[in-house]
Amino acid sequence: MTEKKLTTSKMNRREFIGKTTAGVAGVALGTVFPRISSAANDVITLGMNIPMTGDYAPWGLPGLYGCEIIAKNINDAGGVSIGGTTYDINIAAYDHGYDTDKAVQGFKKLVLEDEAKMVMMLGGSTVASVLPWGTRKKVLTTTLLPSDITPDSEYLVATCESHPLYNVTGVEWLARNHPDVKTAAIVTNNDVEYGLQSAATYKAAFEVAGIEVIDVNLHGFDITDFAPIVSSVLAKNPDVFCMATSFYVTPLMEQLYHQGYQGKIISCTLDYYDEIIAKTSQEFVNGTIYQFPDFDDPKLTEEGVKFPDPGGFDAAFRKDHPNDWSAVSWEYPTIALNWIEAAQTAGSLDTDDILAAMKSTEQQFIFGGGQWWGSQLWGLDNTLVGRWPVVVIEEGKARIQEFGDVAGWLSSNTEVLVKHMKEMGLRVV
Amino acid sequence: MDLLVQSIVNGFIQSGFFALYAVGLVLIFGVMGVVNFAHGELVMVGAYTVWFLHAQHGVPFLWTILIAIVIVTAIGMAMERFLFRPKRNDPLGGLICSIGVLFILQIAATLIGGDGPSKQVPPPYQGTFVLFESLRIPVQRVFSIAVSLAALVALWLFLTRSKMGWALRAVAQDREASSLQGINTNRISMIAISIGAAMAGLAGALTAPLTNINPHMGHNIIITAFIVTIVGGVGSLSGAVLAAVLYALFHTMVTTYFSATIATISGLLIMVLVLIIKPTGIMGRSVSD
Repeated sequence: MTEKKLTTSKMNRREFIGKTTAGVAGVALGTVFPRISSAANDVITLGMNIPMTGDYAPWGLPGLYGCEIIAKNINDAGGVSIGGTTYDINIAAYDHGYDTDKAVQGFKKLVLEDEAKMVMMLGGSTVASVLPWGTRKKVLTTTLLPSDITPDSEYLVATCESHPLYNVTGVEWLARNHPDVKTAAIVTNNDVEYGLQSAATYKAAFEVAGIEVIDVNLHGFDITDFAPIVSSVLAKNPDVFCMATSFYVTPLMEQLYHQGYQGKIISCTLDYYDEIIAKTSQEFVNGTIYQFPDFDDPKLTEEGVKFPDPGGFDAAFRKDHPNDWSAVSWEYPTIALNWIEAAQTAGSLDTDDILAAMKSTEQQFIFGGGQWWGSQLWGLDNTLVGRWPVVVIEEGKARIQEFGDVAGWLSSNTEVLVKHMKEMGLRVV
Repeated sequence: MDLLVQSIVNGFIQSGFFALYAVGLVLIFGVMGVVNFAHGELVMVGAYTVWFLHAQHGVPFLWTILIAIVIVTAIGMAMERFLFRPKRNDPLGGLICSIGVLFILQIAATLIGGDGPSKQVPPPYQGTFVLFESLRIPVQRVFSIAVSLAALVALWLFLTRSKMGWALRAVAQDREASSLQGINTNRISMIAISIGAAMAGLAGALTAPLTNINPHMGHNIIITAFIVTIVGGVGSLSGAVLAAVLYALFHTMVTTYFSATIATISGLLIMVLVLIIKPTGIMGRSVSD
């Protein structure tokens, strides 16, 4: 607000009239001749069947905002050419509020009414609910949780986030850069879709890294006070405190701070870390390791990263939605871009052609690399794994330290991962 | 030993919140005979008020506590006048109305706060008291427990030392007899829900800097409040306070030494056992009494 006032006060009357006139003229012309360049383009609709309300909204709504930015950029640049035809991109979204009945309704609406060529979803029970119909109708569907994939879910793919496989890169980096670390404690919620999958993956990663897991503290979603959990874990003196999922990172960090924890902290996510700093201190949060970068990170301009103009995307997102950046802000756009690239390679909008094009192209992952994986765990190689960033808070800001090799880790350690998945009672083929 | 002492302190701090949640519920049920399912949402409104005014607009924290109490009290009074009073002879009707209010308040919170992540309020009182080198208590929690205790003591003084408090207790014991003695039961009902809602608003305001604030946070609160109320004895304020302390200590100890999941299941199991073995709870009275 203050900045706006200062800017206005510096503008003289002549500039004000000139700029206002130009602005009004621009709006008028835009109304009369709406987007001449793309008026003749056909439209491709990509669907988002996601939670935009309720507890899971932070992993839906920011993704829609991101996709809208990407679609606008593409359309303003004249659209995309697929098979000799130029198309505009339209994003159609349905809010299922993480309810399975609504997820089915939304999925059918997007496919049948909006004619979506692909439906992006968060994952979990909502994906399971749409799978039978989606597979029968050959609807290309994406998930952020590859554990949704089954031997029969031919048209379900995970092309960006492969929760929680990428967590192995953070542990690998931690062990290499802090060889003094010997023990770890894992805290997470006890659901099958997010918490247990992540706990099993962290256990495997710690085992491979030679770090002993001395406590796995599971809790439900009904918890209101994290003081006793943190007291209990800290009594075991772990060198590393590991938060395997993102639902309660803020209150856990707050308790760690107040209870005087001085060891290393590793977390799957650290969404809204500025709020965590406000509740604790920058000094305390500095050094926390996690897996999801800000997109103004200089390392994202390095060779191998495929996201177009990540800095510009970050700025555009934060300008329009200053408080909404989360891990999914760039993930759904990445999935949309991946689909567009595959459609361009296929030269077709046919689902089978696009899926075949996706699978035939190597080195297509957002952060570089790219290998289809997953049959060892879930029965189909429908998860695209590549390099994944290891992020550390430095001076109150998220900074990528390196890009870890998820595919490389998996190729050497799948058996360890399968063992821990089974130990936690998770589905493994 | 350090862990045991830290756990006892954690439990006592938690008991202050549990007591505030439950006392309001007990008061409303005791005087009006209404099970207010929206009580957790009244707490949520208190928390949202602090988030909106303090975290978003910079209003001083202490002022936002007062404003939260006023807003939630006003909501409670409106519920009494427009929902519970017309349904006075229909206990089920009052209960269903409170469920309706529950959803309305959740949607209102979503409209005001928007969707997306849980809201966070930076603690106005930063820092940690360190006692005996290892016992650590966040200043914000000390502030919260102190205010909770003050509110509970003030309520106790009001109920035991003022004519209005006596009248309130009389209506809770026998509404018809109180009415025959010239007590305005409508007025007393309004006072009861005002106090109950104010306690909920205060609890919400105090917990705001310590928890994830979202439109559905009332769900866990109402479950806790029911457990405490039933264990303490439905309609018994002193029973609710005693049960809040016992349940908070029990829940904290089980969470610390076993797991949070076992603590939750055990709490619900205790509630069921009390209902079966001693339905009047620790300090409740049976109808024949």
